[in-house]
Amino acid sequence: MKSMEHSHSKYLSNFDNWAEQKRFVDFTDKDVEFLKKLHPFAVEYADTFVEKLYSHLMTFSETKRFLGDEKTLMRLKLAQKSYFIDLTSGEYGKEYFNSRIKVGIVHQRIGLSPRIYMSTYCYYMQLIIPHIYGNPAFDADTAKGIFSALYKIINLDQELAISAYIHATDEVISRQTEEILEMSTPVIQIWEGVVAAPIIGMLDSSRTQQFMERLLETIVTTNSPVALIDITGVPQIDTATAQHLIDTINAVKLLGSQVIITGVRPVIAQTLVHLGIDLSGIVTRPTMASGLKVALDKLSIKVIDSSKE
Amino acid sequence: MTNESGENPIQTEGDIVTCRKLIRNVTSAAGFGMTDVTRIVTAVSELARNVYVHSGSEGVMRWQILDKPGQIGIQLEFEDFGVGIPDINQAVEAGFTTAGSMGMGLSGVKRLMDSMTIKSDVDMGTTVSITKWGRAK
Repeated sequence: MKSMEHSHSKYLSNFDNWAEQKRFVDFTDKDVEFLKKLHPFAVEYADTFVEKLYSHLMTFSETKRFLGDEKTLMRLKLAQKSYFIDLTSGEYGKEYFNSRIKVGIVHQRIGLSPRIYMSTYCYYMQLIIPHIYGNPAFDADTAKGIFSALYKIINLDQELAISAYIHATDEVISRQTEEILEMSTPVIQIWEGVVAAPIIGMLDSSRTQQFMERLLETIVTTNSPVALIDITGVPQIDTATAQHLIDTINAVKLLGSQVIITGVRPVIAQTLVHLGIDLSGIVTRPTMASGLKVALDKLSIKVIDSSKE
Repeated sequence: MTNESGENPIQTEGDIVTCRKLIRNVTSAAGFGMTDVTRIVTAVSELARNVYVHSGSEGVMRWQILDKPGQIGIQLEFEDFGVGIPDINQAVEAGFTTAGSMGMGLSGVKRLMDSMTIKSDVDMGTTVSITKWGRAK
């Protein structure tokens, strides 16, 4: 929640760029004037349009589930009405910008796809067009000008909402990536003097950095002479991964501790030999249990089965 | 089932992961045993990384399932448009590297696979083709 607010505010700071975007679609003061001409009709028909739009939305199960109970529906219709009226209000400043950004953010959060948003806009256009071209208040040139201005402001609207939507999704992805990175490289003390680090998945360069930092830190804080790195969960080891492992092992050695690689599966052993990777100076064991035994021996710790005494 | 083929771009480090995953699925589905799958995927990881490290931007992996009576096979091609390899014999020597890595990649891949051929033009790019055969289930 917090980070969503954060992304919101970060995106809002891009308001300055919006002037450039307006210039890009050639949205000028003339367009503002044209839109204002349509405004009285927008206000007059807003209720009818919103009603039509919602009865349309009610016929699709995908959109119906977002509309909720009577009270929510009322609130949504009111919001929709003011959104629609704002479109031709002639005020396209920071407040307008914020309200359009918010649409994208909220849609992303509730899981309403951009597809629905775009189609809804298309439906709006169909409702509005007869009031531009069939309207006795406008001559042909005015109608053309209004249509063009409307198309521009809708394009600007959509760009803001979709960009905000994508931005919000990116935020979620990068947050999750960080979380996965944190979760996937735990380092735990499993005995007085022994830390264990099970690696799940491939060890790429960004993970290695994180993993190495955490391992070295834990070795120092727990004052552990032995570290078990378990590779049971590593699907395959290529030369880059092997290099990362060797770098980590060397760093641990500098702290005066020793690494035991555990969970070396037969397939991994075979591919390592084929790749010509030399791990001869490193203690390896097929299972975490046998690695722990080596560690305890090294620390001169005996584990006694009390039932056999 | 047979004559399946496809390709995958190699432009980011994430693409290496995608290539590995794709080939793991393809070879498992084709009926390769666990050991062969691991060998092939390791080779893919090795060569995809080479493409990523040396090509800068554009690279591609192409794969094709081969089939002979009683056997299944896969052919893979890794193409980049990087600086090329001036001396191919030197490049496949164990321990040779220009990237500050182990230098075991190409020589290792050669041992992991049944065959490997390298075509390279300096400044034009490199294509590495590898093939692996296994017993059909």
